[in-house]
Amino acid sequence: MVCIKSVILAAPEEQVVRTEDTSELNPFDRPVLEAALRLKELHGGRVTAISMGPEASLSALSEARAMGVDREILISDPAFAGSDTLATSTVLGAGLQKLVPFDLVLFGVRTADSDTGQVGPQTSVQLGIPFISMVSGIEWQKDVFRVERVADHFLEEYEVTSPVAFTIHPGAFEPRDLGLSGIGRAFESERVERWNLSDLGLVPERVGDAGSPTRVISMMRVKETKKCEFLKGDAREQADELMKRLSESGAIGA
Amino acid sequence: MDGILSEKHRIVRRSVRSFCDREIRPIAGEIDREARFPWEVVEKMGKLGYFGIQAPRELGGADLDSVSYAIIVEEISRASGSLGLCVTVHNSVALYPILAFGSEAQQEKWAKPLAGGEKIGAFCLTEPNAGSDASGIEATAVSDGDAYVVNANKVFVTNGGVADICLLFLKTNPSGDRREISVVVAERGTPGFVVGDLEDLCGMRANPVSSIRLYDCRLPLDNLLGREGMGLKIGLAALDTGRMGIAAQALGIAQAALEEGILYARQRRQFRVPISKHQAIRMMIADMGTLVEASRLMTYRAAALKDSGKRFSQESAMAKLFASEACCKVTDMAVQIHGGYGYSKSYPVERYYRDARVTRIYEGSSEVHRMVIARGVLGKK
Repeated sequence: MVCIKSVILAAPEEQVVRTEDTSELNPFDRPVLEAALRLKELHGGRVTAISMGPEASLSALSEARAMGVDREILISDPAFAGSDTLATSTVLGAGLQKLVPFDLVLFGVRTADSDTGQVGPQTSVQLGIPFISMVSGIEWQKDVFRVERVADHFLEEYEVTSPVAFTIHPGAFEPRDLGLSGIGRAFESERVERWNLSDLGLVPERVGDAGSPTRVISMMRVKETKKCEFLKGDAREQADELMKRLSESGAIGA
Repeated sequence: MDGILSEKHRIVRRSVRSFCDREIRPIAGEIDREARFPWEVVEKMGKLGYFGIQAPRELGGADLDSVSYAIIVEEISRASGSLGLCVTVHNSVALYPILAFGSEAQQEKWAKPLAGGEKIGAFCLTEPNAGSDASGIEATAVSDGDAYVVNANKVFVTNGGVADICLLFLKTNPSGDRREISVVVAERGTPGFVVGDLEDLCGMRANPVSSIRLYDCRLPLDNLLGREGMGLKIGLAALDTGRMGIAAQALGIAQAALEEGILYARQRRQFRVPISKHQAIRMMIADMGTLVEASRLMTYRAAALKDSGKRFSQESAMAKLFASEACCKVTDMAVQIHGGYGYSKSYPVERYYRDARVTRIYEGSSEVHRMVIARGVLGKK
């Protein structure tokens, strides 16, 4: 199971309008699909791509299909409008429940548009399954996944039984080039399954605006300012001061 | 244009661009300087379907529409004109005539390896004494038992140095009517099939353009494409599609030149501001952007007409004429914006400038295109 999102490429005049022209598959999701497809090539199984969003999200599912996934599901309902990450996780969790049994649920680490990184972990909580973030290597060994994760310059190794959920390190799995015939096939026939609120057995109060405890109050572009400062003293003192500041700011290791 | 392009086309563009940016752009300057055909990249392109863009799937093709075809050629040419040329000639004037006029056995034998990119195709029409006047060719094929005995001297054959399957335009009835031109397929390696020296060209240097000569070469009668005398018909059909490919190629080169021009104009500072702030440069950028956009519209429209099964000869001729001339103007302005550096091999615009020039010459010169277009505009009266 791979949860993917169609992200906004541009928001002219600060207005977010999701259409097929302005959306594309979240770039952080491409390595995730790649990871899933490589597991399938090694061990068999089926890869299903799931996306929650308006009709414009079909483009993300089509691209997933062109990459080689076996099944695509669009979870879409006007009631989902305004969902924050919690409501989104509620919806995805309910969708995934319908797909039980599965071995593995994968997410991108974050999205290129809203960038919270919350949906993967929250959905795992909804499902009540173990979760490992920023996974950079996966091996399937007789009922257990052995995974690698790099954090703070340490390589961590985990062994975990299925079902389990991971977010995938964006640099870990170089996505494949799309073959032209795959793209052609992906657009030939309408294959995407569509699920709505009632298919998931959810009530409107738990999704959309109503089910979202967070509100985005405002959003504005941050103006970056640069400040130029001349260090004092002789060359050695200047160098020492520079080293001190760089290491204090975390720009270089101590 | 948004009415022409669908989501599928956007994904085609994104995936081809990402491949080209990673695999082709970084080596484009080097393969031009070394006049080297980059097999290592061409093999990858073959696996992704770039050599069978519109061929049916049962023959290993991708079965995409003409708009996708134009986008793919545009994107490859944006990275390397030479490779764009290889792909457009292979697809539209080598593979396409076999798909359109070949028998089932011929499709199995030649279209399949061509579509899969295992073999490269070429189109051999031009001779030392016959170019724009295709009916003036002197190459001959005389039937003798189960074979044609072929003698030919074909020049400026795109892909010539690497082509395995060549479409030869020949006179099958040498002593008779001058319209008796036919197309016979020759495979590299047949006794009497000789690949001449590579041409030392101004641009498109990574494409192994060569002469191909046949000396008493025996080609089976079964290698005839269509029927005897169908040569001009096959040639014209191939060139209708081919022109669209050249338009797309010119468009891709112009797009690359526009992007480099913008990049440099923003970086280069003179009189204490980036030169993109100077009106003289802005006028050039405006013209470049407009020429590129107009080329794109004309090219995609010709392709969309083809996809909808309508006549597109006139539109594809106009697109080829306009896009190739626009490409020369745009690459010239890109060099101008770069000043002395534009004339140096340190920047890619000099390559675009050299590559652009031939788009006004091959697959029908601008002058021949104007003749064809005028006939269409004026009607037969």
